[in-house]
Amino acid sequence: MTRSLDITALTCPMTWVRTKLELERMAAGEALEVRCRPGEALENVPRSAREAGHAVSVHGDTIRIVRA
Amino acid sequence: MSEGSRRGFFRDLASVVASAKEATAPPAPPEPPEPLELTEGEIERYSRQLVLPEWGTAAQLALSEANVLVIGAGALGAPVALYLAGAGTGRIGLVDDDAVELSNLHRQLLHFTPDLGVPKAESAAAKLRFLNPDVIVEPYQMRVDADNAGALVEGQDLVVDCSDSFATRYAVNAACCAARVPLVEAGVLGMSGLVMSIKPGRTACYRCAFPDAPVDAPRCADAGVLGPAAGVVGSLQALEAMKLLTGVAPAIADGFLQVDLATADFLRVKASRRPDCPDCSGV
Repeated sequence: MTRSLDITALTCPMTWVRTKLELERMAAGEALEVRCRPGEALENVPRSAREAGHAVSVHGDTIRIVRA
Repeated sequence: MSEGSRRGFFRDLASVVASAKEATAPPAPPEPPEPLELTEGEIERYSRQLVLPEWGTAAQLALSEANVLVIGAGALGAPVALYLAGAGTGRIGLVDDDAVELSNLHRQLLHFTPDLGVPKAESAAAKLRFLNPDVIVEPYQMRVDADNAGALVEGQDLVVDCSDSFATRYAVNAACCAARVPLVEAGVLGMSGLVMSIKPGRTACYRCAFPDAPVDAPRCADAGVLGPAAGVVGSLQALEAMKLLTGVAPAIADGFLQVDLATADFLRVKASRRPDCPDCSGV
């Protein structure tokens, strides 16, 4: 099951806070699609997710994260 | 039927009804555990710690369920209680029998000039409630000694000793060891101090590290202390408390951290459990 999260209304660091908390509720291997605004979030959230060890791919303004 | 026997009759009847229900009712399915979630307000309030890789929902919820006793609402107790309240500790008990004095204000961050004469436990509790209304703050205006330490420590998840006397420290250490309650000890004088975390029965206790009080130990009132030095040591103590409550990082256990703030030297000193320690050897 793929979860989705909309962080378009948020700014740093709440963009990653919300994404991180959502990931914490998920099981390993589950996927999360995060919709965000272009710019800061689209740069920072994938980087933070990768640093946390998750698998990340970016499609347009959607970040797909598979929980480690 | 007399009043007494009438009450007896109804009581008997109630127990019969209850046992009949028990016999016929199918066993209730176990209640699914209530999923613990952070509220929107909590996510916002604690966002700068939740964002840390080491911290997260689990650590935040662990802290929010913790009962912590802070002994002393002075120079060390102020940063300890402030940081623990700010971070979202569930319940903070604050013990102090003193009243706020003018000479306290240069280092005791929870008290202000209009608080002069007010019991420190009350003065501190009022500020902590302003800081974080979600935290239950319980002020106790009393002095901790060997007779009452056991009762105060019982049932706590953690004790943070911010007292300024060796007698209190030894009493608190003995009580925490007996009740197996983790403890953070600290002391500050002049521009130096020390911090030590204790997991009773598992790591060296305060008496293992310091079997006897120094004969001519000066007290803060005699020896003086710079406010920021107390702030540093108290902040370290608060950090230790948060580590012990959440497990996000290893605590300064089986030894202590000696802090010289004149030279900015931080020295980690090892200590081991003593098999003959009167406080923790039987734990």
